Amino acid sequence: MTAELNFEDLKPRVNAIQEVFQQKWERFRYFVLDHSDPKFIEHLKAEWRSGDSLLDMAVEAKDELERLRIELIGKKSELAALKKDVGRIRKEQRGIAGQAVNNLDIFIGNPLRDAEDQLQRLINKLRTESERIDVTLPGRRPRRGHLHPITMLRERIEDIFVGLGYAIEDGREIETDFYNFDALNIPENHPARASQDTFYTTDGFALRSQTSTVQIHAMQRRGAPVRMIAPGRVFRRDTPDPTHNPMFFQVEGLCVDRGISMAHLKGTVAEFLRRMFGPETVTRFRPSYFPFTEPSAEFDFSCFKCGGVGCRICKNSGWIELGGSGMVHPNVLRAAGVDPDVYSGFAFGLGIDRMCNLMYGLDDIRLLFENDVRFLEQFD
Amino acid sequence: MLISYNWLRELTGTTSTPREFRERLTMVGLAIDAVDELEDDSILDVEVPSNRPDCLSHIGIAREVSVIEKSKFSDPQAEISNLKYKVPRTEGKASDFTSVEIKDLDLCPRYAARIVRGVKIGPSPAWLAQRLGALGQRPINNVADITNYVLHELGQPLHAFDLAKLTEQRIIVRRAKAGEQLKTLDGVERTLDAQMLVIADAKLPVALAGIMGGEASEISEATTDVLIESAYFNPDSVRRTARQLGMDTEASRRFERGADCENVLKAQTRCVELICEIAGGVATEDAIDVYPAPLPARTVDFRPAKVESITSLRVDLSEMMRILTALGFTSGESAKGNTLTFAVPSWRADVSIEEDLVEEIARHVGYEKIASELPPSNVSGEYQPTEMKQRSLRRALKDAGFDEAINFSFIDTAHDEQFELIPGLVAEANNVGFVALKNPIIDEATRMRPTLLPGLLESVRHNLNHGIRDVRLFEIGRVFAKSDTGELPNERDALALIATGGATEEGRAQATREFDFYELKGALEAGVEAMKLGPLGFAGDSIKHLREGQSAPIYLPDGTKLGSIGRLSEAIAASYKFRQPIYVAELDLTALLESRECATQYKPLPRYPSVVRDVTLLVSRDVAFQQLRNAVDSEHIADYSGTKLVGTYEGQSIPEGKRSVTLRIEYRSDERTLRDEEVEERHRALIDSLVKKFHAELH
Repeated sequence: MTAELNFEDLKPRVNAIQEVFQQKWERFRYFVLDHSDPKFIEHLKAEWRSGDSLLDMAVEAKDELERLRIELIGKKSELAALKKDVGRIRKEQRGIAGQAVNNLDIFIGNPLRDAEDQLQRLINKLRTESERIDVTLPGRRPRRGHLHPITMLRERIEDIFVGLGYAIEDGREIETDFYNFDALNIPENHPARASQDTFYTTDGFALRSQTSTVQIHAMQRRGAPVRMIAPGRVFRRDTPDPTHNPMFFQVEGLCVDRGISMAHLKGTVAEFLRRMFGPETVTRFRPSYFPFTEPSAEFDFSCFKCGGVGCRICKNSGWIELGGSGMVHPNVLRAAGVDPDVYSGFAFGLGIDRMCNLMYGLDDIRLLFENDVRFLEQFD
Repeated sequence: MLISYNWLRELTGTTSTPREFRERLTMVGLAIDAVDELEDDSILDVEVPSNRPDCLSHIGIAREVSVIEKSKFSDPQAEISNLKYKVPRTEGKASDFTSVEIKDLDLCPRYAARIVRGVKIGPSPAWLAQRLGALGQRPINNVADITNYVLHELGQPLHAFDLAKLTEQRIIVRRAKAGEQLKTLDGVERTLDAQMLVIADAKLPVALAGIMGGEASEISEATTDVLIESAYFNPDSVRRTARQLGMDTEASRRFERGADCENVLKAQTRCVELICEIAGGVATEDAIDVYPAPLPARTVDFRPAKVESITSLRVDLSEMMRILTALGFTSGESAKGNTLTFAVPSWRADVSIEEDLVEEIARHVGYEKIASELPPSNVSGEYQPTEMKQRSLRRALKDAGFDEAINFSFIDTAHDEQFELIPGLVAEANNVGFVALKNPIIDEATRMRPTLLPGLLESVRHNLNHGIRDVRLFEIGRVFAKSDTGELPNERDALALIATGGATEEGRAQATREFDFYELKGALEAGVEAMKLGPLGFAGDSIKHLREGQSAPIYLPDGTKLGSIGRLSEAIAASYKFRQPIYVAELDLTALLESRECATQYKPLPRYPSVVRDVTLLVSRDVAFQQLRNAVDSEHIADYSGTKLVGTYEGQSIPEGKRSVTLRIEYRSDERTLRDEEVEERHRALIDSLVKKFHAELH
């Protein structure tokens, strides 16, 4: 144990520390101000000119300040040594000495810490500022593609009919006259068979003019009873214009079983249209003529735009014509090998392109097959 | 078909308004397209179904109205047979003045001629001119106008000849001689073929049968004696001739659909009566009526119970009888039990089976009275077997940034030899039989497409021309080629992709990148993977329509060739004036969808960490990544678990003809954590082997 010390012995050391502090503090003294105080910034710029940006200056100042703090009040500082030596002072003087050293610690330490704190705040603020991003820039993402509106509608129609217990079928697009006409009870000299209306290959085959061809194949293959729809591409010899295309998509449906009546036809078509266009949709059947059905009916549905009051879409009639239907002609059943005395059935057909026009208000249906990206991007 | 409301009211005594007609006629199957309100009449535009030529007349519509309104209508036809229309003055036999010979009975089963002598040709009286005018028919002269009037009234087209202008006053119905000329009433000189039926005099054709009269025998101011023709012509013959000559007349429209063979004399009588009344003159007592083989009367057996079984409507037998009778059907005695036999009126050629009668009853009872119910069901629905896969494919391609395209199935033959077709479509690539259209509608588009690519290239051109340079399209569609057997053509479903321009979406907070081969390959792989099919194999090889060195055939895992992928050849790109690289792929979707699905099988997660070593090899440019990977795989190193690509580099500091390839080799044991030293040893051996095999340098 070393000899006891007197308070007087420590005083010069206290004063020396204080002197060093006062001398070096000059460079930092404005940093005890609030970091947003103009004098704070002015001082920083004046004393740390070397930095490129205010942020660099602040970082440098803070580093320097930190070094000063370690020098003056760090674990290895003269002040730390002084604190240890207080224990060696005579008992009666130890209180005053301790007080004096503590005061010195506070006198130096507080401004150092305050300044460091303010510098850190400034640094934080400047960093935040420099890392600010423009949150309104459009988000980064991969290009997104689009399904063709015909595909979307076809899938929706298929979903509805699968839900109603129907099988989806498709078949050839080039067919024999038998499947395209004969089996559908379209007589030899019917105008539809003329080459004005139907495309023929040089080998004498027909591009199917309706997907009813698929129904005949399906009945032959599956026999009765059968429930199916055939969505697909069909061809008619129309010159392309805003309301015609030589190729379009349609869905034909068929339900053959014992005891099928027109009530079932009405119920099925009406249910489909409700699921397609909404529960308020009303369906209307009108007598019509098709060679493959007897009796035959066209069906209209209440305009989904105006609800039947009359608008541009329904040409002020409140009704939109959609498709043809009827009870399958006995000759058609026979052609497909189904006995019309045992089974009856209904069939219906509608254009997917037409539905597409209605739903999206297309003014020129040629757009459907032009594949203009600006058109395709509007769907899905 | 235009119908005068006033005329209809005269025939039926109806009190319904035109607006009410619109609704009611529509609901019995005679849709009214428009009602034109004139000053003192309303004109209904009736859309007559093609099987109802009887409704192409005022009495036809009046008959329907009388059934709807349960009223009697004054049927001029009925009244002719009741001799109400008595021709005022008659004298002599028709055969005293003319003769009729039908040479082609197949095209003209009936022809009747009657003469009116001493007529005074002049303008029609006001009521007649007005009535025709309301129907959009320009008045000509009294005799011509009367024939038109009877056409609109009874639906039978008639024609009046100037008897004096017929050589030898003879009528011969015959096929034209090939090249024979006839100037029709519209002033057009027509050249006829040997299939066309004409009315001729002793020398020359004087009318195009059932379509239009000839100018030479036209009624004029000077005409005094007229021959009134009333006939029945074969519908197909009239249709064919009219189409061939590009003609469409009131007469042809009716004959094409089928006139009423039994109406021939009645309509003629009606016409002659009106001529005598309006234009004066003396008619012959009779007509020459050549009708050697009268059409047999037709009957239909009808079971009233069928109405309910077919339509679900419950209709009283008396109501059924009322409707059918009012429509002109007459029933004999009930022959056998529940079956009634109905005689079909001659004007209803469309009715031949029981179901036709059911329809007659149903439409007049009202389709709106038919219940609406779903059929009882004991089956479940099903998609097409590949539908869900195709949906996955479409969505994966959509997610990869592709828009779905649909093109016409017919294309220009100019593309025939440009493209390598998908292998599934044709047996031998160098011996393709293309499918051609006999009657295309778009010039040059006579080829049923054997490939989807020309359509997609056209779509790209369309977009580029509209200033859109980033285009990615895919199409799923049928392609066609002749079959080897000469039967129906081969049809396959193909999938094609095409892309050009930027690979990234413009206008976003991101760097842009151009579309390249690997983008397209990645999209295709993603699509196939979404279907749980593949993985596809690619090998560098040359393809006709693709650029050498940037193209590859596509294979199924079992080695079946499916199609091709790559950059469009310079030659084709130049022909479209494309200035930016175009990447295309096409494959046999049918074959792909038939291929084996990859099973999903759980593998336990690794229990021990793997050790990864990268190696960069400097190799010749023709060493493919696939070769390197296969080489590593085939070393059979203990605890080897896979090789991945890190990157390739060529350019600065790499000698010409070489490139550096960095591989990441992964080692892992399922039993323990591998020590660095043991991996190091195996890895070094592997590298030595690769260096030797590929004459590589470590880089």
